[in-house]
Amino acid sequence: MTKHKNVIEVEGKVVECLRSAMFTVELENGHQVLAHISGKIRKHYIKIYLGDRVLVELPPYDLTRGRIVFRYRN
Amino acid sequence: MNTKPFPSGLSENAVLTTRVAAGQWHALDDDLVVGRGHAEHRPDGRLFVSIDAWHDATFDRLSEAMLAELPAPLYTVVDEADIELAAGWRRAGFTVRRREWEYVVPTDPGVTGLDGVLPPSGVTIVPAGQADESLLRAVYRAIRDEVEASVGWQSMPAEVVLLHEGDTIVDPSKYAVAAAPDRYLGLIRVVSAARPRIGLLAVRSGEQRRGIARALLAHALGTLHRAGSAAAWAEIQEPDRAASALFEGMGARPMSSNLELVR
Repeated sequence: MTKHKNVIEVEGKVVECLRSAMFTVELENGHQVLAHISGKIRKHYIKIYLGDRVLVELPPYDLTRGRIVFRYRN
Repeated sequence: MNTKPFPSGLSENAVLTTRVAAGQWHALDDDLVVGRGHAEHRPDGRLFVSIDAWHDATFDRLSEAMLAELPAPLYTVVDEADIELAAGWRRAGFTVRRREWEYVVPTDPGVTGLDGVLPPSGVTIVPAGQADESLLRAVYRAIRDEVEASVGWQSMPAEVVLLHEGDTIVDPSKYAVAAAPDRYLGLIRVVSAARPRIGLLAVRSGEQRRGIARALLAHALGTLHRAGSAAAWAEIQEPDRAASALFEGMGARPMSSNLELVR
């Protein structure tokens, strides 16, 4: 598989479930981002709940947004 | 490698879409991954796709690249509240195939009205973990065959998708059953990993409309209530009026909905 540079991935915790399928995730450094669920997670019907530990991918252009790409087993 | 440049506005360089492996695409901006596409088969043989991109233009280019290479029909799943993502798939020509509601179901018998609900005469409820495994697998297989012969598993909520051929029940301890003296008539599966979820509630076709499903629910919700859970969650396919009526009649409310799209 071709190797490309990836965007930033940070662990965090879901602190708020919002409307429009969005979540507030508090990152390890205390910073909060507005995140949505990745299509790959949704395709597998993995649910995200308040308090879940997740891996968030941040875009290179806007560090206030994020995409939940993995949910850790609590 | 199959690459295609397009002016994205993301940087001075053109964004490229490239298939990096079987079923995997990347959108690259100056060699940085700014979007990803995936395609994979479900156990029922259908091909599901997903795209993650930070901009509509990237999404559109990825969908164009994927659709050009993948055979129809293609399926995807979106949260109906995710307007942006749903719009992206509509731009790519996808239409709604079915809608699935997630319900939150109270467990308190004082709220559900299920206090004192008993199974019909001659039927007993066997709690989860106590069912005879061979009888349990038999009723599961019978119900599965009935569904396949009628509406089909593809119309069922995602939580009860068809398993690989030959597979039946993964964890028998999750199932409570309605039992007649010689066989099981229905079953309910409750999983309590992150929060209680009613994954499957089904009764043999010849035994329906006798109150068996209601008795199974009364048992399962009562058990959760006694264990300290105030609510459970369940997915219901939109046209399934019987299931909607059953759940809404006990105070369940729809919370969100997923759309399955097809092209």
